[in-house]
Amino acid sequence: MVDWYQKLAESAETGTPPAASMMVSGACVELTQAFDVLPLYPEVNALQLAIRRQSLEPILAAEEFGYASDNCAYVKADIGAYFKGITPTGSPLPKPALVLCNFVGCNTYVKWFEHVSVIMEAPLYVLDVPFLRAGEPSADAIAYVVRQLKELVVKLEEITGKQLDMDKLREAVWCSSQVEEYWSKIKHLARRSPSPFDAYFDAITLMGPLYVHRATREGVAFFKQALEELELKAELDREAGVRERFRLVFEGPPPYPHFRAFRDMFAKWNACAVASTYSTVGGLWEFGARHDPDNPFESIALHMIEHNVTNRNMQQRNEQIKRYVEEWDADGVIIHFVKSCRLFSAGQGDMREYFSRTLGVPTLYVESDLADPRYFSTAQLQTRVDAYFEALEMHKSARTSAHVG
Amino acid sequence: MNDLYVTCEDIISDIDFKTVRDWKDRTGGKAVGYFPVYAPAEIIHAAGMLPVGLAGAGDRLDIQHADARFGSFICSIVKTTLELGMTDHLAAFDALLFTSICDSARNLCYVMQRNFPEKYVDFLHLPHNPSSPAAAEFLASEYRRLSARLEELGGEPYDEVAVLHAIESFNENRALTRSLCDWRAERPHLMKASELYALVRAGNYLPVEQHTEMLVAAGAEFEGRAAKARDSIRVVVEGAFCEQPPIDVVRIIEQAGCYVVDDDLTIGRRWFTEDISTDGDPMMALAQAYLDKSVYSSVRHDFRKPRSQGLVEKVRNRKADAVIMLVAKFCEPAYFDYVLFKQELEKEGIPHLLIEFEEKLFTFENLRMEVETFAESLLFA
Amino acid sequence: MRFAAGVDVGSTQTKAAIVEQNAGPVAFAIVDTGASVTRAAENAFNVACREASLQPADVGFVVGTGYGRYKIAFGNAQMTEISCHARGAHALFPNTRTVIDMGGQDSKAISVDDNGHVLDFVMNDKCAAGTGRFLANAAEVLGLGLAEFGALSAKATHPVKITTVCTVFVESDILSYLALGKKPEDIVRGVHLAIAKRTVSLARRVPLEPSVTLTGGVSRNEGMVAALEEVLGVPLQVSPQAHFAGALGAALHALDRVDASFESGVWRTAV
Repeated sequence: MVDWYQKLAESAETGTPPAASMMVSGACVELTQAFDVLPLYPEVNALQLAIRRQSLEPILAAEEFGYASDNCAYVKADIGAYFKGITPTGSPLPKPALVLCNFVGCNTYVKWFEHVSVIMEAPLYVLDVPFLRAGEPSADAIAYVVRQLKELVVKLEEITGKQLDMDKLREAVWCSSQVEEYWSKIKHLARRSPSPFDAYFDAITLMGPLYVHRATREGVAFFKQALEELELKAELDREAGVRERFRLVFEGPPPYPHFRAFRDMFAKWNACAVASTYSTVGGLWEFGARHDPDNPFESIALHMIEHNVTNRNMQQRNEQIKRYVEEWDADGVIIHFVKSCRLFSAGQGDMREYFSRTLGVPTLYVESDLADPRYFSTAQLQTRVDAYFEALEMHKSARTSAHVG
Repeated sequence: MNDLYVTCEDIISDIDFKTVRDWKDRTGGKAVGYFPVYAPAEIIHAAGMLPVGLAGAGDRLDIQHADARFGSFICSIVKTTLELGMTDHLAAFDALLFTSICDSARNLCYVMQRNFPEKYVDFLHLPHNPSSPAAAEFLASEYRRLSARLEELGGEPYDEVAVLHAIESFNENRALTRSLCDWRAERPHLMKASELYALVRAGNYLPVEQHTEMLVAAGAEFEGRAAKARDSIRVVVEGAFCEQPPIDVVRIIEQAGCYVVDDDLTIGRRWFTEDISTDGDPMMALAQAYLDKSVYSSVRHDFRKPRSQGLVEKVRNRKADAVIMLVAKFCEPAYFDYVLFKQELEKEGIPHLLIEFEEKLFTFENLRMEVETFAESLLFA
Repeated sequence: MRFAAGVDVGSTQTKAAIVEQNAGPVAFAIVDTGASVTRAAENAFNVACREASLQPADVGFVVGTGYGRYKIAFGNAQMTEISCHARGAHALFPNTRTVIDMGGQDSKAISVDDNGHVLDFVMNDKCAAGTGRFLANAAEVLGLGLAEFGALSAKATHPVKITTVCTVFVESDILSYLALGKKPEDIVRGVHLAIAKRTVSLARRVPLEPSVTLTGGVSRNEGMVAALEEVLGVPLQVSPQAHFAGALGAALHALDRVDASFESGVWRTAV
């Protein structure tokens, strides 16, 4: 990631390689990689500012500019930081040669990228991705996205002055398919008890490299090594007899400005996330989907439409969590509502209803925000989390004694 | 006009949907409710069904269940629409249709689908990239998919001629609506904004032919009116394209010294700037019209032309003095557009006032004071 | 040791309860929380001991609960007020299936099983108060004491509609209605109904099954009880000790700990 920020700083100073703003979800980073165009993720900037506790100042600057207190705080952190000349690492970020709104489910992104394009005076291309309704996308939807990807190729050719090299594209797509294989295996390690890593709080540190380096050889090497290290840790934990007390599934993005405090609330109870929907924002691969070097355009299109959580509907998200609960053997579900992100959050109360009442899975629902530090109340959250575990403990001991009896 | 106007206000505030139930009893047909802002009503009409534009429950229903399903920071219309469902007010609807206007509305679609499995609940993806030559074909495929699903639901099989007739009926209705709006913009003292609003919005709950007759009758009645103009500023009201404010808000804006000469309230009834073509494949014609003949709207994405430019043109065309941004609480598309609208209006020297509202408002004193002050500041400047 | 205690440190008041094995509650105490949570907890505990004619050392185990639970210096363990209110409400009314707890700063709804254990719970969100604080603010705007405020509600004939549950905006709503010449009792009733609707909506997120027991300080407001019953459509169980439910539940959880047969691992040492 440090390497990526260095490249961005170089690009900011020399103008090469050119950078394209993209959104993480369903990013077609294989295509930009084939042109050696650097991906620039405004949401990663916002996230980095938030986790470094630097998001409030830009958020306030954006609100002065006219954004509402109920606008997405990622957008405000990103745009406010531009106004204020703040960057997460202090090194400069390039002006995008192309603002590529690869839409994927989030209407806020369309506005965000439109604003970035106006404010930074950079050209905008909206790559429209039909929302996934049925289990599989229609042929019309795939054709629509493929045709737009080819329009995008023309744009990238204009920007870089290079022709598309199909071999290079296939190589990038192949790298992604390998990374996806390793990442999927890592996710499946969490099915063991104990899980060698936390699939929410730890997974987030692996998500950055996933978006930035997925379509590269460096990415393949990185995730191969990550898998090996975690496999080793799984063995050591098993031998040492380490056990987690509770296994959880997390839904929704984390509260980045209070990441540590939030994590500690669960760590205190020795609870471990064994799966999370947030870690499938970049791609949902643990159920088998992969990029396909033999069909680069179609497989990029399929990735954008079908294989990332944000372009899937609420019922499909319910099913995804249900599979985690069953196949990853979880005790309960934690739903973290973030006020910024209506894509994730609108209707999560109904999701809570589905899990706690229809399925009888103990479910905790809490509210705060992913980038705005002002919506996190430690005492209130602590009480909810503690009460949840107190009840869960009672259930577990009641279940155990029932089995014994 | 008074009777017609009272009728319209009754229709738009009726959360038991009597007009819909009456139509169903009379015809034995099925009703399809669509969440604002826009839906291809022509296709529903051609299937022999009644398209009904839903607009939440206004101030007529307390939220008792929906708060639990949608958390804090979610707009009211999403909650009251779900509340309508959970309190059996949507029993008359056989299908519910949503479109890609915002994330909350889309998630509502799937919450509805889970909670009301007996209904056909679907989501239309309206393209966000009209610059792509592939967009029209994709949208036409969406429309064909809808048409096929309506047929499965018991609608008339797809018939090109029926869709063309439907387009003609809606073209006629929209042309009349446009001319009433134009007529009123010239003579705002002769017709209250609240009257026009109720008249236009009533079309959401009626068969199009019946509503067209009402528009004709209203036009004739308006022509005969005479009154003196008041000392008021001319404003464009922008931002309440989905969740609707209480009609008293529209009244108070006018009472407080502003003639509302244009607005985007229930914009779906005035979605097209000109007639939809009745030549060739009607599904392609509908799709092409959405992409190229639509009004600008905060929930229709078209980066070929900035929406702020659309707003400034509206102000200039209507010879308006100012803009009132009337934004529903938690409406993210409107919040976002406000930022760029504000920049553009300030650049153009057009004064504006921002007002945030919720469907449920029972005291209006603050609103009245704000609007009065705004109007006074311009009248006596 | 036959005695155990619970101390519930709330935002405005601190409550203590002492229970005796096989006998039930023997003493309750209540003091204002004031600036020092630690001192308030000690005071309440000491008052309860005196009430029960006990020395603090006679009490075998103390559980602290409420927002100030981690600040109780002499406690043996802490539990959340959710687990404690559930247990306390169940002790007051063993048929309880749903607990609505309305305190000074927040309200909660808890679904409980036959033993008073939590099955599910929800709490109000941060901004939308709908709590004791909100009522106190509304009473102040009308120039009424809290007791008067609660009683006046019964005289209403045409309650006004209050939309906001924000403590800040309710003031302007009330002033608008006063300016329109609305009667104070109709406004008061409107405020109570607004909170009742909000609270019942909250409670629907857990299975809202009878019997419903109301706990917390707001249970002393008769206008609020009546409004809640109207909106719920079922009578509420309200004990004269309702505001001690948290402390009582904490004391009962403490008693489990005194009783050596209980081994669940719920307990944590003080932080």
